[in-house]
Amino acid sequence: MRAHGKTTEERIIAKHQEALHRGFQAWPSLAYDRPPAMGDARWTADLILATWIQAETGRPPTNGLEYKMGHSGGGFDALTFKFLPGGRWLPEQEAIDTSIPLNRRPYDRDIQIPVPWYGAGMSYGSISEQIMLARAKAARQWDTFTSSGEGGYPESLFPYREHVITQVATGMFGVREETISWAPIVEFKYAQGAKPGLGGHLLGDKTTVAVAKMRESVPWVSLFSPFPFHSVYSVEDHKKHIDWIKAIHPEALVAVKVSTPTDVDMVAVGSYYAGAHIIQIDGSYGGTGAAPEIAKKNIAMPIELAIPKVHRFLVQEGIREEVVLMASGGIRTADDIAKAIALGADGCVLGTTELVALGCTRCSNCERGRGCPFGLTTTDPQLSQLVDPEWGAERISHLYASFQLQLRAILRSLGLRSVQELRGRRDLLIYRGKEGRHEPAAIH
Amino acid sequence: MSSSVRFPVDNAFEQTPGGDFPLVRPLDSPVLEHGVLSSNVYRRYHIETQDAPDIVPLPPKFQVKVKKHRLLAMVVKELFELKGDLPVALSRPCIYGVFSRPVGGLAPREELCVGCLRCTVQFPGIVQIYPNPERRRLGDSLVRPEDVETILYEARSGRVPVRGAGYRGPFGGEGWDGLWTDMSEIVRPTRDGIHGREFISTAVDIGEKPAFLHFDAHGEIVGPLPPMIATQVPFLFDMPVNVARSKALLPIFAEAARQIETLALVPIASVIQFSLEGQHVVPVIAKSMWGWLDRLSWSPCMVMLDGWDRECYDELRRRFPGSIVCVRVPMDTDVLELVQQGVRVFHLTANYHGYAGNRFVMDLILQAHQRLVEAGVREEVTLVGSGGIIMAEHVPKAIICGLDAVALDVALAVALQARFNGECLDPEAAALSFPRLDTAWGVQRLKNLAASWRDQLLEVLGAVGLREVRRLRGEIGRCMFQKDLEREAFCEQGSEL
Repeated sequence: MRAHGKTTEERIIAKHQEALHRGFQAWPSLAYDRPPAMGDARWTADLILATWIQAETGRPPTNGLEYKMGHSGGGFDALTFKFLPGGRWLPEQEAIDTSIPLNRRPYDRDIQIPVPWYGAGMSYGSISEQIMLARAKAARQWDTFTSSGEGGYPESLFPYREHVITQVATGMFGVREETISWAPIVEFKYAQGAKPGLGGHLLGDKTTVAVAKMRESVPWVSLFSPFPFHSVYSVEDHKKHIDWIKAIHPEALVAVKVSTPTDVDMVAVGSYYAGAHIIQIDGSYGGTGAAPEIAKKNIAMPIELAIPKVHRFLVQEGIREEVVLMASGGIRTADDIAKAIALGADGCVLGTTELVALGCTRCSNCERGRGCPFGLTTTDPQLSQLVDPEWGAERISHLYASFQLQLRAILRSLGLRSVQELRGRRDLLIYRGKEGRHEPAAIH
Repeated sequence: MSSSVRFPVDNAFEQTPGGDFPLVRPLDSPVLEHGVLSSNVYRRYHIETQDAPDIVPLPPKFQVKVKKHRLLAMVVKELFELKGDLPVALSRPCIYGVFSRPVGGLAPREELCVGCLRCTVQFPGIVQIYPNPERRRLGDSLVRPEDVETILYEARSGRVPVRGAGYRGPFGGEGWDGLWTDMSEIVRPTRDGIHGREFISTAVDIGEKPAFLHFDAHGEIVGPLPPMIATQVPFLFDMPVNVARSKALLPIFAEAARQIETLALVPIASVIQFSLEGQHVVPVIAKSMWGWLDRLSWSPCMVMLDGWDRECYDELRRRFPGSIVCVRVPMDTDVLELVQQGVRVFHLTANYHGYAGNRFVMDLILQAHQRLVEAGVREEVTLVGSGGIIMAEHVPKAIICGLDAVALDVALAVALQARFNGECLDPEAAALSFPRLDTAWGVQRLKNLAASWRDQLLEVLGAVGLREVRRLRGEIGRCMFQKDLEREAFCEQGSEL
């Protein structure tokens, strides 16, 4: 047993950290079978354990764990690929490009990321500084991005700022001129999938002195961001917001995060005309923080149904090639990423998946008491030390490696040389809804 | 006509310009209790919540099984490796106190386990967490154990259930689960109701709503005013039959309805036997119970005829000229036919699982609403519906489909910790057994439930961007049906799933 440390607290943390790391290795080996109380319809025990293996090894499991689909009975879990016969797959040695551009407009900064995903906004306060650091380190390692969420970011992330998206949300928490002027991408969060129609919530227990200082608020007081931006009631107002960012930082790309109402397609087109480079649509089944159960389940549509709607409308409007469409809210696996892209997204934004890689069991107790017992969604000074940022960055990085490996395998099996060729290829999918099998057509 | 009347409750604040007559009366507001409608008395509608802990302890959600000899061996081994560092060796993985007894894992406190699995992740060979099969026996085939848990939480605390880590259930589903409500984000003004930044009204009007009024040369209304009342929440209390016969239970439901300012639907025999009286009490009268009617010594604001009968309906209208006469019929009844015969207020019923004539209530509500819209009479009619409405989210969904208000039944019983003895399907034969209840506790539980459901309704209304629940009725353009979205997403134009 390790349990090193000067103080008793340090030794206790070291003991539990070591035991947790052992457990993250032991459970996916199935030496104890699957934990009987783990998992749900969307994130099954198999998916959670498979994510742990990938975070450990950088490769998908080979011991029979299902790592592609959950048991939700619809959406991604009812979609499968129409792979080519084995003989027509692209050869192993053939290079498969998984990169995507984040600016499709003919002007402004050209940013490419080598994998079609970046990290979702999770605020300082909703997650610990250690987790923010781990995500930022992994983003730098992969030359992609992580989002600050609504709440700014602490100094420890400054060295990674070229890989941190600064989020501007309705509460304006943590938004400063310098974090905007540093940011390669500034993200406006108009709405979020887990709480459509509601602002962000940070409960009082998590608003520590440091978090409150960053947010310029009062410690230990719950923070409820308003909804919506009270300065935006039209696309023209929306453009004013974007102009404001561009005035501070003309080089920045602008991302707009919206939820999935019935008119999400029109919202996307409006955002494009307001000047956004990236439109992130956030489906209702995702989310990492505390949210009313009624909102998560019942308000706005799941991402699987929103992507083709938005993609189709952007195509019809003739602007699809000038805007980047990112999908989030319930993306769990490499297969989900590939399916989202086939439905019409350029790429995906990952939140919960990264937390699962760091040990999240999806127990849904993020907001309770001291916060996450695994040290993820907490600001508790002891619990947050359970995650060492270096260890966390390695886990996320391994997961990315596994996802890229799988994505390449999928593309190879479809005869595609680039992930960009997959975009909008619904004809490569089969939907097995409850009423039977259906083969959708492509949207070009 | 009486002097100028202003609604005293913010929830029903949109009244007649000039306010010369009480077209809509708020129920049992203090001004009405005194028989006088005073003017301009402001009162913002609010349901007082207070913790009302469960009186029957729930079985723990999880079982914590510890291999005790392995645990002891591990502690000894750790003590040896850590050179007797007791605080470290005895430090426990659970932050919720499951191992907080002096003997730690030898006697775990299962009732505190939240299923985070940290203990079993750390020590897989020593501790395992299992879902408790006892807990899985709560409810029936419609009201799932997790639904029971949610209702109990709402009744216990009055709060909106909030959890982390996204949605955990199936993708869409049957019945109400196949419908999502809309939200607005950039281009429409949305209201923040739940945190009180803007007021959203949950009041609904129940009664006859003529398309127009007749005025004489002096501007006075000609003829009697149509009877109309406003409830402060769009849910009424419709007691299961065995509750309505219980001397212990009935006063709880009736008093809670009074305090929430809604209506309690009570069989007339129970109204008489238990001497219930007040504007919150709606006597329900079946033809077979007609004899009880003579013993009703007061005039209710609404009476309900259980089952359609022309003569009985006319008789009720004659006996209670100032009251609303509502007709309770199965939800698959052709309401337009009854509207043509003069009925304006309906209580449409299905069984407790939400079926009438083998069709689910959602489809039946849509059909009834649409039929009235097409006939051009929807605005004159009030539709209250019940059956299969067991969760907070079902209220806005039923209203979106076309109801003005819903009537709650099984959810109220669950809030009072009733146990299901088999399937709870038939309102007449529902086998629900209740614990021994204290009236004040029971009233508070129902108030808490109502407050939680109202707040959740505000969440939905705020997201949709509506300032009053009345406007939600029949707004199917502000909801999304799974089958439509799937067809649009995954089918070629014109083809079916």
